[in-house]
Amino acid sequence: MGVGVDLDALTHFAGGFAVALQPLNLVLAFAGVFVGTFVGMLPGIGPINAIAILIPITFAAGIPAASALILMTGIYYGSQYGNSISTILLNVPGTASAVVTALDGHAMTRAGRGGPALAMAAIASFFGGTVSIFFLVLFAPLLAEWAIRFGPAEYFALMVFAFAALSSLAGGSLVKGLAATAFGLLLATVGLDPNSAIPRYTFGQIKLLDGMDFVVVTIGLFAVSEVLQLLEETERGQAAAGSYGRVMITVKEFFSTLGTMIRSSVLGFLVGVLPGAGGTIASFLAYSTEQRISDREGTFGKGDIRGVAAPEAANNAAANGAMIPLLTLGVPGSGTTAVLLGALLGLGVTPGPLLIQEQPDLFWGLAASMYVGNIFLLLLNLPLVGVFVRALTLPRWFLLPGVAALSFVAVYAVNQSPFDLVLMTGFGVVGFLMRKGGFPLAPVILGLVLGPLMEKSLRRAMALSGGEWRILFDSPIAITLWGLALASLVVPPLLARRARLPLTAAAGRGETD
Amino acid sequence: MSDGSTRTDRVAGLVVAALGLAVGAEATTFDVLFRADPVGPKALPFLAAVVFVGSGAYLTARPGRGGVWPPRVILARMAGAVAAFGAYAALLAPLGFVVATTTTVSALSILFGGPWRKAVGAAVTLSVVLWYLFVWVLGLQLPLGWVWGSIWMR
Repeated sequence: MGVGVDLDALTHFAGGFAVALQPLNLVLAFAGVFVGTFVGMLPGIGPINAIAILIPITFAAGIPAASALILMTGIYYGSQYGNSISTILLNVPGTASAVVTALDGHAMTRAGRGGPALAMAAIASFFGGTVSIFFLVLFAPLLAEWAIRFGPAEYFALMVFAFAALSSLAGGSLVKGLAATAFGLLLATVGLDPNSAIPRYTFGQIKLLDGMDFVVVTIGLFAVSEVLQLLEETERGQAAAGSYGRVMITVKEFFSTLGTMIRSSVLGFLVGVLPGAGGTIASFLAYSTEQRISDREGTFGKGDIRGVAAPEAANNAAANGAMIPLLTLGVPGSGTTAVLLGALLGLGVTPGPLLIQEQPDLFWGLAASMYVGNIFLLLLNLPLVGVFVRALTLPRWFLLPGVAALSFVAVYAVNQSPFDLVLMTGFGVVGFLMRKGGFPLAPVILGLVLGPLMEKSLRRAMALSGGEWRILFDSPIAITLWGLALASLVVPPLLARRARLPLTAAAGRGETD
Repeated sequence: MSDGSTRTDRVAGLVVAALGLAVGAEATTFDVLFRADPVGPKALPFLAAVVFVGSGAYLTARPGRGGVWPPRVILARMAGAVAAFGAYAALLAPLGFVVATTTTVSALSILFGGPWRKAVGAAVTLSVVLWYLFVWVLGLQLPLGWVWGSIWMR
């Protein structure tokens, strides 16, 4: 039976190419990964901002749901590639998931081997993408089939698990993560309560009765606060990338990294499926695992090409793995996938166990387009690195106000209301204060997007049991999920300590070079 | 300014805890005459309030070190940026997208250290390009500015 299911999935996947290869979708997949590369590379944008900005614009432009999703996911995994360019050449990681790539990647650049490092990053990303899309196609339907049995109590426990995991792994302290989650939940309750129709936290403002639009909140918290934060760094001169040689690796180098890429892709995928963990943890774990397995001559951290292959394969695999809980459970585990969930809900698509059956074109078309996008990325990255590198020299005074202008358009497009621009600015200030105080921002978005679903599940579960709280802990699945939630609060601090130890050693070595 | 001090965490903890108390107090007023479900509209706000108070109290009692705040000059620059964002909200409807965007983007560019001639030139170009892209290509509705209409009518 298992084989039958697998073959079925592959047939559907092949069918998905009929959707992915439609001209509009092909153009959007290309546009997504192309823009995504810049988004991952340049300061001040990031995939969360870029997707949030695109949501109201694609709505207003009337782009169909599947196509809009193809564009947005293209930005999401394309940004993982772009990340590596600024990391390797300038030692400026675009996001935390590329921090480890800097160790060997930038060491290679200083040794005049930046070109091979860039090529390795592109090939490893492609490899990680390919492996993880294959796993996505095989495992997503199985997970969906299993999750059909979830009742409201199980969903409630699942969301608690997602919140607990993201709070403890989003970086910084656990209590700050929890406070950020609670802030997101609070924002989710603003407006008319759908069950009793009483207003909550609206302070008599009619404009707040509809609730907080998550595009407004997200752009404020991320884009506006990023602009404020970067004002601190205007004095820092723009570093120019030196020469980096040919963007190519040898056949021998490819085969010497094959084992690393396979191991890191599988590891990255598994980490990506778990809520909260994501690309950062995946790249850290893959690097430290590779170091333990294959660093026999102690070359990691000194420009070993495997030190580039491991994190790059892992973070791309993790990005795709994170699509599984989003699409099959409707419960994302990271900030970026939470924004994607917001986009889906806005497009009238409710992801969950029934998505694959009810909207097969959307699911399989998206999976196929992710593969097409990965091919585009490989083709783009090898010959066009020069173009991307030139964008790195764009001055900030030009780049960041441009990002702000795009944010304005997006926020205004939500309700055609200047009031939203005021809200956006307010959230920008709050976001800046949160960054400065060490509070993670991603849990706010997850809380805001999942809050209404969480409240609905809780109310449904309690209505089913007639007000008996025990229903939340009644089924084996629910108990398992509560256990996982507890574990995710307790275990990551221990794991992080284990993963970081060899890494700090590597970082130390890299600096003394 | 307070590098390595615990002040940021202590203040943040107090703010979070106070927010929790306010959220909880407000939630007690969510009374409904007829409850459609046993939980009601208070449960989730109370949950958030409890987490706020708990995490705020913990932060205040056991603060970590950190929170490096920028010097005054930069804080002033940030206040300028916030004012530019606010001005955008105020100017958009009366003056329209192109003028409001040019104004705010120029101001932000100069705050980021751009040479002012180039900053204004880039802002004008960007505003016109974005107007063309969003209004003519993508079909979004952006405000033209009612001021211009009333001047023209006269």
